[in-house]
Amino acid sequence: MACTQEKRELLDAYLDEELTLLEAKQLEAHIYECESCEQHLQELKRSVAIIQSASHFEAPRHFTEGVMNRLPEQPARTKWKHRIRRNPLIVAAAAFLLVFVMSMAGGMGDGQEMVVEGEGQFLLDREQNLVIIPEGSTVDGDLTIRNGDIEINGEVTGTVTVVNGQHLQASASGAAGEIEEINDALEQIWFQVRSFTADLIPSGSDEE
Amino acid sequence: MDIVVKKIVREVKKGNQEAFSELVELYKDKVYHVSYRMIGNTHEAQDIAQEAFLRAYMNIESYDEERKFSTWIYRITTNLTIDRIRKKKPDFHLEDRVSGTENLDYHSQFADDVELPEDQIVKLEMQQWIQEEIMRLPPKYRSAVILKYLEDLSIKEISEILHLPEATVKTRIHRGREALRKRLN
Ligand SMILES: [Zn+2]
Repeated sequence: MACTQEKRELLDAYLDEELTLLEAKQLEAHIYECESCEQHLQELKRSVAIIQSASHFEAPRHFTEGVMNRLPEQPARTKWKHRIRRNPLIVAAAAFLLVFVMSMAGGMGDGQEMVVEGEGQFLLDREQNLVIIPEGSTVDGDLTIRNGDIEINGEVTGTVTVVNGQHLQASASGAAGEIEEINDALEQIWFQVRSFTADLIPSGSDEE
Repeated sequence: MDIVVKKIVREVKKGNQEAFSELVELYKDKVYHVSYRMIGNTHEAQDIAQEAFLRAYMNIESYDEERKFSTWIYRITTNLTIDRIRKKKPDFHLEDRVSGTENLDYHSQFADDVELPEDQIVKLEMQQWIQEEIMRLPPKYRSAVILKYLEDLSIKEISEILHLPEATVKTRIHRGREALRKRLN
């Protein structure tokens, strides 16, 4: 026959190892004399042991691949997003610059990110999604701008491609290809990035 | 928190998507296992587990680095699983029969079990029976029991994962344990 509810609760606490040494001793003394509690405790222990004998399964093969395939597409350019946003000065301080891939998020309303790809020095207006190739600056090769405008005052030796943006004709410039231009400049920063794959920014400098 | 995990999380927060695969590698077994034990079906478990990582990725900015990543990912996983259980079986309770397909499903864990020796079959059947008993627990006891006895987590961590007071977690474990006792003895 069953013992008291109080003893049942003590048995739970006992199994959870939450009784003081004295309480545990007292309960053990009771269990020694109470068949019902002894059986109850044995049954609980047995149940736990059975459940604990359940094997551990590993995730199926190709699990990680499956997850990575489900992630939203994210081109390499977004890598720069935080770095540039947090540390424009460090980026600007990089001495040689050559391939610049950048994306901007935030402050763009429609959620489209501006992307600039090219080799050379750019002046960037974040507020207006404008890239300016300043006078005296040469972009060696092609230049691509997405979701932004471009103004070319310097030179572009290759083709300028503007996707979802405009080429604002600012002057008779030396652009060999198509160019896109933007006119508002709230924050203008010179970006000089040696390579978009090179980690120019010392790791740690841009951490929160 | 583990310094390696912290570094990976920071990389992911910076936008390094590839780094996320390292997080998945580190936690996929835990996540899959909890999900499988709670839902009792390998396909759904995989789907939920992958969804959990997807959500973790999408919400990585809200992850507090001062807390254990495992707690966070377990939390996402149990929420998703409980949600899935609710949708498929609103009135699941102790007396519900466990569907016969669970047997097949259990065996499907072992891709190469073409001809198992006798003792292996006994083990398999034993394992299958354990899972059936776990499935008979109401979901709210089931999650607490799995986290406690299969994942070996502390009451404190379980309370963070399930977002419940520690006393409630204990009560659920006690009730789950008692339900198992009645059936298994
Ligand atoms: Zn007693």
